[in-house]
Amino acid sequence: MLVYIVRRFAGMMVVMLLVAMVVFLIARVVPGDPAAVMLGSSATPEDIAALRGRLGLDEPLLTQFLLYLGQIVRFDLGDSIFLNRPVVQALAERSELTGLLTMMSVGIAMLIGVPVGILSAAKRGGLVDQTAVGLAMLAASIPSFWIGLTLIKYLAVDHAWFPVAGYGPPDADLLERMRHLVLPAIALGIPNSALILRFTRTSMLDVMSHDYVRTARAKGLPPLVVVLKHALRNAMIPILTVIGLTTAVMIAGAIVTETVFGLPGVGNLIVSAVLRRDYPVIQGALLVVSAIYVLINLTVDLLYAVVDPRVRY
Amino acid sequence: MTGITRRLFNTALGTTLAAGGLSTGILGSWTTPAQAQQGGVSVVTVATIGEPPTLDPVGTTSDLVSIITQHMFETLFTFDGDWKLAPLVASALPQVSVDGKTYTIPLRSGVTFHDGSTVTVDDVVASLDHWTKASPRGKTVAPLVESIAAKGADAVVIALKEPFAPLTALLAMNNGAAAIVPKSVIDGPGALKSLIGTGPYKLLEHKPDQYIRLVRHDAYASPAGTPSGYAGSRKATIGEVRFVPVPNAATRVSGVLAGQYQFADSLPAETLPRIKDAAGVKPVIVKPFGFPLMIMNTKTGVMANPKVRQAVLAALDPNDMLLAGFGDPEFVQAEGSIYAQGTPFYDAASAKPYSDHASGKAADLLKAAGYKGEPIRIMTSVQYEFLYKMSMVAQAQLELAGFKVDLQVLDWATLLQRRGDDKGWDAFFTYHTFVPEPSLITVLNPSYPGWWDSPAKREALAAFNREMDPAARKAKWVTLQSLFYSEVPSIKVGEFYNLAASSDKLTGYTPTPWPFFWNTDLKG
Repeated sequence: MLVYIVRRFAGMMVVMLLVAMVVFLIARVVPGDPAAVMLGSSATPEDIAALRGRLGLDEPLLTQFLLYLGQIVRFDLGDSIFLNRPVVQALAERSELTGLLTMMSVGIAMLIGVPVGILSAAKRGGLVDQTAVGLAMLAASIPSFWIGLTLIKYLAVDHAWFPVAGYGPPDADLLERMRHLVLPAIALGIPNSALILRFTRTSMLDVMSHDYVRTARAKGLPPLVVVLKHALRNAMIPILTVIGLTTAVMIAGAIVTETVFGLPGVGNLIVSAVLRRDYPVIQGALLVVSAIYVLINLTVDLLYAVVDPRVRY
Repeated sequence: MTGITRRLFNTALGTTLAAGGLSTGILGSWTTPAQAQQGGVSVVTVATIGEPPTLDPVGTTSDLVSIITQHMFETLFTFDGDWKLAPLVASALPQVSVDGKTYTIPLRSGVTFHDGSTVTVDDVVASLDHWTKASPRGKTVAPLVESIAAKGADAVVIALKEPFAPLTALLAMNNGAAAIVPKSVIDGPGALKSLIGTGPYKLLEHKPDQYIRLVRHDAYASPAGTPSGYAGSRKATIGEVRFVPVPNAATRVSGVLAGQYQFADSLPAETLPRIKDAAGVKPVIVKPFGFPLMIMNTKTGVMANPKVRQAVLAALDPNDMLLAGFGDPEFVQAEGSIYAQGTPFYDAASAKPYSDHASGKAADLLKAAGYKGEPIRIMTSVQYEFLYKMSMVAQAQLELAGFKVDLQVLDWATLLQRRGDDKGWDAFFTYHTFVPEPSLITVLNPSYPGWWDSPAKREALAAFNREMDPAARKAKWVTLQSLFYSEVPSIKVGEFYNLAASSDKLTGYTPTPWPFFWNTDLKG
């Protein structure tokens, strides 16, 4: 397994290099200028040109790319043009929120998706199954921003049970900050729970049609033991895959939810950086997010071996 | 179930239950959404449209920047409630020599910076010098400046090469501001080394995309006089003003309705009924606020022909565009005068062509111009929804009059970059916030994209800028506005107003284009 992990890490380095190149080129090819955004709409072309010079944006593209590669090799992601701080610091400041939000929303998605998916498969074709599938279709179809705005209206504005937006006041403790994430976590968790539910149901149905499950039933084992002990374990690989992918996507993919709830997370940072053309932040954030994505995939692959003894690396 | 699988299952189950359990615990710890009092300090939380690009008030003309930084930085002069000049760090209005070329500005004594040091004449001279090098506004003045020097310990003298009447208004603006800062924080034409000013609030903490905390400057030395607009005495009763970037307008509305924010800026017009009906919140409508503009490229391409631009003016119906952009007639006015009714430079007669729109007239003008169906490239952006909606109406009306239109929908950053290239576009949509001095209007700047710089305009603008007498200035402004409507460098679509919302608990607030929170208080 060690050899496998080393090989995957080597592959990861190649992927990271490709990501760095692609992100650098896309950021520069897309029109737009951080100097123009920074100076405001009244700025003249002369003002913009002067600021571009001070920011080093007038250097040839190749020079800029080589400087950027040099930084990456030194594990330095550069400094943000707008935020007056290193990109690493900007990412670190947002990682707590993003980490908590991801954990809470994946938790909610799993709490709903896995048990209901199992129940739905166990009661295939029945009222419970049809209702669950119908609700899952509905949940997957509703955009998370609509769920977010609806939650804000009823639970924050009308009843004041939760805050509308933000990540709490400066002196807020962890619990207070998590309270600010409850509604966003629900808004993100519900559509993802539908995905997990459908994967769980399909995977369980597939497994439950196998001979060994029939044998287990024929032995007279209680249905709960058949489902949870014999079927679920073998159905876990696709479920783990989808949970892993959901987690990875949420790290930077909660952009809409973060915007609706005014949350300064990693997704928000990336969107702001794109709108401002803050090249170092775009490049650094996407590089880190890609690394996390690859790492989560690696973790899921390693978990396959834990869940399924037939899988060996 | 094997040990490993059980552990895996327990972990998964534990995570989900932990999330649910924490949610329950969190809900149980609920107190109150409003953060109006923290540690005995009154806090006003203001929801703004986003994160400002910088907190340096000198180098940018961004309104969002000035809304925040005007609490921290002060200029020599400011504007009162009637948009007349008033002293701020200066002790009085300047003494101007008979030839209009020398301004002697007396300074208020005892004014302190946030670092505790006292403002000296050297600081003021250095600040003004920095302004002429770093500010887009200051740079327009720089070629006219002969010298900036101290006169004793309590006055500054600005000597000009020729009379320039807008100087004092430029010195009073809170964006691209001639902010008075310690000489030690100035480091060339770049950004200030440290954000130290003389304002009633000082910077405590800035967490980008999260909040900007300004706290009371206890040693603040206020100017004298009854408060009026930005002028008069300033009292920082609120202990902390906290600006929170909330880019989503619906969230700003919900936040102020729920009591999480005490003030929310730039709200959609359609939310007015909701704000009116809500308890504990009142709407704030700011008039005058701004005017949308369709800027045309007078330098290159088909729009360089004035007759084509006149045809555009004739083709557009501003009423339709304004209603499409804002929806509610309460927030717009089809007003051709560049300055709205009730302001000193208002003039309806010279703006008459604004309302002479007719597609037949436009077609005749196009024929006379020799227009051969070249596509008119109009840039617009969905980031300002009202501009996008207006541009769609403009496209339809222009096509009706015989134009061929290529509407290019871009993000704002792309539009800002592309407009610098005179070969890449024929028109773009933007808006201008109200400015008290006409020469601050961007379209009049020959370097501003659109590049309006005809000999007649150059002469009229120079005459206007040289004129010191207010009545004579008005007459010369009318000449300039007449040229605006005969040469048509841009289309002023009309006036629009800004909707904000304020908590009932926030008292003493004065509606202005750049909201400020000194002289306000929180009750209850």
